[in-house]
Amino acid sequence: MTAVSVRDIGKRFGPTVALHGVSFDFNPGEIFALVGANGAGKSTLIKIICGYYPDYDGEILVDGKPVRFSSPHEAYRNGIATVHQLIDQGVVPNMTIAENLALAELLVGEGAPFFYRPQQIARRAAEIAARMGLDHLDLDMQVADLAQSDRQLIAIARALATDPKLLILDEPTSSLSEREADRLFSRLDRLRREGVAILYVSHRLHEIERIADRVGVIRDGRFGGLLQAPFKVTEIVTAMVGDLDRAEDRVAVVPDQSGAPRLELRDLVVMPGAPPLNLVARAGEIVGVTGLIGAGKSELAQCLFGLRQPVSGQILVDGSPVASASAAQAIGNGIFLVPEDRAANAVIPEFTIRHNITLPFLRDFGALFSWSGLIRHDAEKRAAMRMIGAMGVKCDGESAEIGSLSGGNQQKVVVARWLVKPSRVLLLDEPYQGIDIRSRHDINAHLRANCRDRAVIVFAADLDEILEVADRVVVLNHGAVAGQQLVGAIDRRQLVHWAAQAPQSREKGRAAV
Amino acid sequence: MSRKGDMSNFFIRYGFLIVVAVSFVGLGLVQPAFWSGPNQFSILLGVTVYAILALGLTFTLVIDGLDLSVGSTAAMTVMAASYCMVVAEMSGTATVLTCLALGALIGLVNGILIVRLRIPDLLATLGTMFLIQGLQLIPSGGRSIGTGMILPNGEEAAGSFSDGFLFLGQGRLFDLVPTPVLFMLALAVIVYVVLDHTRWGRVFYAIGGNAEAARLVGAEVDRYRIVAYVLSGLIASVGGIILAARVGRGDVSSGGGLLLDAVGAALIGFAVLGARRPNAFGTIVGAIFVGMLLNGLTMLNLPYFWQDFIKGVVLVAALAFTFGLARRR
Repeated sequence: MTAVSVRDIGKRFGPTVALHGVSFDFNPGEIFALVGANGAGKSTLIKIICGYYPDYDGEILVDGKPVRFSSPHEAYRNGIATVHQLIDQGVVPNMTIAENLALAELLVGEGAPFFYRPQQIARRAAEIAARMGLDHLDLDMQVADLAQSDRQLIAIARALATDPKLLILDEPTSSLSEREADRLFSRLDRLRREGVAILYVSHRLHEIERIADRVGVIRDGRFGGLLQAPFKVTEIVTAMVGDLDRAEDRVAVVPDQSGAPRLELRDLVVMPGAPPLNLVARAGEIVGVTGLIGAGKSELAQCLFGLRQPVSGQILVDGSPVASASAAQAIGNGIFLVPEDRAANAVIPEFTIRHNITLPFLRDFGALFSWSGLIRHDAEKRAAMRMIGAMGVKCDGESAEIGSLSGGNQQKVVVARWLVKPSRVLLLDEPYQGIDIRSRHDINAHLRANCRDRAVIVFAADLDEILEVADRVVVLNHGAVAGQQLVGAIDRRQLVHWAAQAPQSREKGRAAV
Repeated sequence: MSRKGDMSNFFIRYGFLIVVAVSFVGLGLVQPAFWSGPNQFSILLGVTVYAILALGLTFTLVIDGLDLSVGSTAAMTVMAASYCMVVAEMSGTATVLTCLALGALIGLVNGILIVRLRIPDLLATLGTMFLIQGLQLIPSGGRSIGTGMILPNGEEAAGSFSDGFLFLGQGRLFDLVPTPVLFMLALAVIVYVVLDHTRWGRVFYAIGGNAEAARLVGAEVDRYRIVAYVLSGLIASVGGIILAARVGRGDVSSGGGLLLDAVGAALIGFAVLGARRPNAFGTIVGAIFVGMLLNGLTMLNLPYFWQDFIKGVVLVAALAFTFGLARRR
């Protein structure tokens, strides 16, 4: 018996049709993965199911009965619980775990007691925690003091407290490390055995391959296919992007290790207590740096871009040492960074595409005298058009607001920003976060085509993303290089082993103290 | 694009300007004297001081801040200019330079309080507002400053406002255009060019949109934010100089109402051309629209005590338009 079904769901935004009538069934005790490229209509469907868009065609059935939600709260009361991508919207950081778990029922829900009753909250929270297997946590701790994965579990536990018919998880692993994700999967497995219907949305197809029972594909707002486990990632990708035959092609070619060393790191200690790190990146090379969360990827990127000062060691660009005290200085030294989390760190939301692209190098579009500060709009426009064409940004022209683009196209814009001008080193920190596979290919193809004179370093936790673009894979572990392989000789198991191994040097160091 | 979408886009873009035009025509039809040249200039002259303040304020709004001290900075400038001329017997040029320096200094203090000490902008500038309001009273012993005033030591002040200085507030070009109006329009053009056509303006807007992203493209965010407050203080002192030159004396209560009028004009400006953000053109249109409306309604015998209510209605309507309608775009 299906828990929740959607029938012929259609949705238009003004003149654009986002969904052309899609139907899916979600069964108890089943993990149903919903996939689709960015802009395919996946998030629109999720928002309709959880009540954000009351205005749609088609119908939603809960336990076979048609329902229509006018608000997310109503969907929630009808048994549809959603845990959104941004965990911190799902938990209240400055409250304790117990308060968070009991929040809906005992603090703000209907029939919540007038007085704050600590014992009652503690009792109810303990029940909820036990069900979700949160035994390792002290329920009186503040949520703000917890790791991301624990916050995620709390948000899920809260959603489950009301015995929902359908649990929607939207990109639940996007801020988790591989180990944390593993823990989440084992909990999901348990919920599946308990008969919960789970709708799982993720860009990470390997996760889906691993945990999902069925996969529903949305393509361009239409039903794109339904796959039964066991399935292969290649099958999912084919259903998602259709005729894109390069879907599993690598952009990387035979690695050329003859280029001049552009960037050289000598005994660089990126965070206190870490061993020294040594690394060379050559012109024309794309180096992929991977590692678990906490391995020092972000710290290394920040040291190179002047956002953090290394504890010790040297950074050499073209043989001469550079020390950047700010982003501005790093840019002056020819080191550019595409930061992670584009919404927080890269996109200027009210700006047009053009203004977003040209922002770092406005000086190059100067008119009259540079002291006048005036901008030559036509030159700026031409540069923006060139980058839009080169990167394949899908938009209504350079003067469209960046907010009107899909995530993948926004990412192309913020990458394009750093390709307007030649650089010696280009760093990209988690450039594929939350973007579809086609955008990823476009970005990779453009990086490959334009890396001739620069050393490109891509930082990403996802090994598949790295393997798709890099000539050489460098695995970081606890702030140092655990090992590296050239693209011709990749041994996945070895890479994973390097990433996961215990940090021997650090353990030794501790023992000595 | 559907026709409906085109229509709503048209109204978001030009709706406010249409309201301005309709009011202009309507008020004149009912009261033809409203359209006369001298009355038009009197409207412009009436809005000059707070329009100038609003232009300075626009810089701080652009970086997503707010400067509540512009009104008291202008008021203090009036007192400082009077003191320089009447008591210290300085030249017109020296007076103007002193006043500008004071305005810039206040802006610098605001900037440092906000950027270095990380005091929230509203609180920091509220603090300096009070501070300046009190400070301006001290040199004259709490009294207004005018030619021939009796100093605290019992002597009569020997200085007076120079003709050159008074020209800044009372002069007319071709016996028609008041000099303050010229200053206002020139300043509006400068602020527009800086904000919309220079790289600095672009960076100001970028900081207001996403300060972290601006920092990561190499903008010296802290420096820009301090500069925004310095410009706000500097421009506020320009407004104060013009006000001093217009009234020719330093009145202890001259700054009342300037702040709210300036903030109102700048916020109304968000609605002009559907910009949804602070902008020089909108600020000046907003200021002139409010002045025009009050002038016209006064001609139609609207009692003076209705004025603040009308300003409030215009402001709330403009904000509702900006944040309610225009965001659906």
